[in-house]
Amino acid sequence: MADATESSQGASGDLFDAIVMADERFRSDGFHEGWSFGEMQGLREGKHLGAIEGAKLASEVSYCHGFAATWKALLQMENTENPRTSRRLKVLDSLLLMICNFPLHDAANPLLQDHLEKIRGKFKQVCSLLGTQPSDDPAASSIAF
Amino acid sequence: MSGSLERLHTLSGHTDRVWCVCWSPNGTLLASCGGDKAIRIWGQEGPNWVCKSVLADGHQRTVRKVSWSPCGNYFASASFDATTCIWKKTHQDFECTATLEGHENEIKAVAWAPSGNLLATCSRDKSVWIWEVDEEEEYECASVLSSHTQDVKHIIWHPHKEVLVSASYDNSIKLYHEDDDDWACFDTLNGHDSTVWSLSFDGAGQRFASCSDDRTVRIWQEFPQDDDAPTKSAPRWKCVCTLSGYHTRVIYDVSWCPLTGALATACGDDAIRVFEEDLDSKPDSSSFSLSVVESRAHTQDVNSVAWNSKRPGLLASAGDDGDVVLWQYTRNL
Repeated sequence: MADATESSQGASGDLFDAIVMADERFRSDGFHEGWSFGEMQGLREGKHLGAIEGAKLASEVSYCHGFAATWKALLQMENTENPRTSRRLKVLDSLLLMICNFPLHDAANPLLQDHLEKIRGKFKQVCSLLGTQPSDDPAASSIAF
Repeated sequence: MSGSLERLHTLSGHTDRVWCVCWSPNGTLLASCGGDKAIRIWGQEGPNWVCKSVLADGHQRTVRKVSWSPCGNYFASASFDATTCIWKKTHQDFECTATLEGHENEIKAVAWAPSGNLLATCSRDKSVWIWEVDEEEEYECASVLSSHTQDVKHIIWHPHKEVLVSASYDNSIKLYHEDDDDWACFDTLNGHDSTVWSLSFDGAGQRFASCSDDRTVRIWQEFPQDDDAPTKSAPRWKCVCTLSGYHTRVIYDVSWCPLTGALATACGDDAIRVFEEDLDSKPDSSSFSLSVVESRAHTQDVNSVAWNSKRPGLLASAGDDGDVVLWQYTRNL
């Protein structure tokens, strides 16, 4: 009360300002509170989504890596002089190289998606050459790419 | 220049829409395929054209396209059942010698490279696959290209070079070549406002035509790459001509005759149109004029047109009405 009296003495408009501008002030306060709340919420949701998507991507790439490394080891036990085997090994090596060069730790890399598509294409080619489908593999059935 | 189109034969037999017609390289056999899951091989006997064989046991669903190998002893068929079959000519008939699996869903086109050692397929799964054929007639996947963002409708090979061109529902055309032991897209051509349905090279391989849902045909020409260009990715193929205003509905197919240079189109308005290049057409900006329109070529949509590569002016067409029609095109002097 004392404040109001004081300020009404200081500048006659201020008392009315407090009332007239109340609507705007509350709106503005609400906006800022909402903003920070939303920011926190969004950050949390984004982090959660990022973790899920990141895990999906990493598990896909790792699956390809394990698949390629295992097949490479199996094929190396065969006669690598055989042109068919050596061709398969060559394609497996190129898939492994792509995976090694994949920017797994650089989520903001603009070439990430492009690179991933190339790995997927190469993986399909590998499956076709080996005459196997990853869906035939019981371990893969739990992962949906 | 004007011309006329004379209906020679109507070949009936398919029990559903016919999607594609393709002439064998020596021009003596015509393969057709369609919604009845069958492939029919037609040949001439005396004055008549007859169905030489019906291959109905290769595919479980619609056969979308057929393509002959350059030697003429094989052809490939692409089907909505996600497989491609390779058929080998035997003494009397054709025999399926290989089935290529790998695509996730409907295969839309298949094309044999001029060398005969490579085969390309494309699908609704947005990918283009390149297959290598070895001496033992084994087909091995040489590359899987996922450059398009939508359904890939058609693919063709350059007539002399190992360059592949694809057309897609994403409105773009992409070109691929072998680069450092793997295949890669080296150019994307934008210009069409809607789905690009088909492509056809001219005889020399300097230009190709594309046709689209946007009711236009575009002619693309290769320009030697300028070494001084500011960016390395400067496009090498440019649109030098757009044929618009002629077609009233979707253009499903285009065929550029390697012998006469005439351009035929198959349209959703049941018509076949033939275009001729103007005599005063400039090398860097082609111009074409309508030569003839056969407005009721089929009773429903025309899906495919193909010029015979040995007999000038002999044109085959196929449509939703289930018929395959042979036409003779003649220029009026």
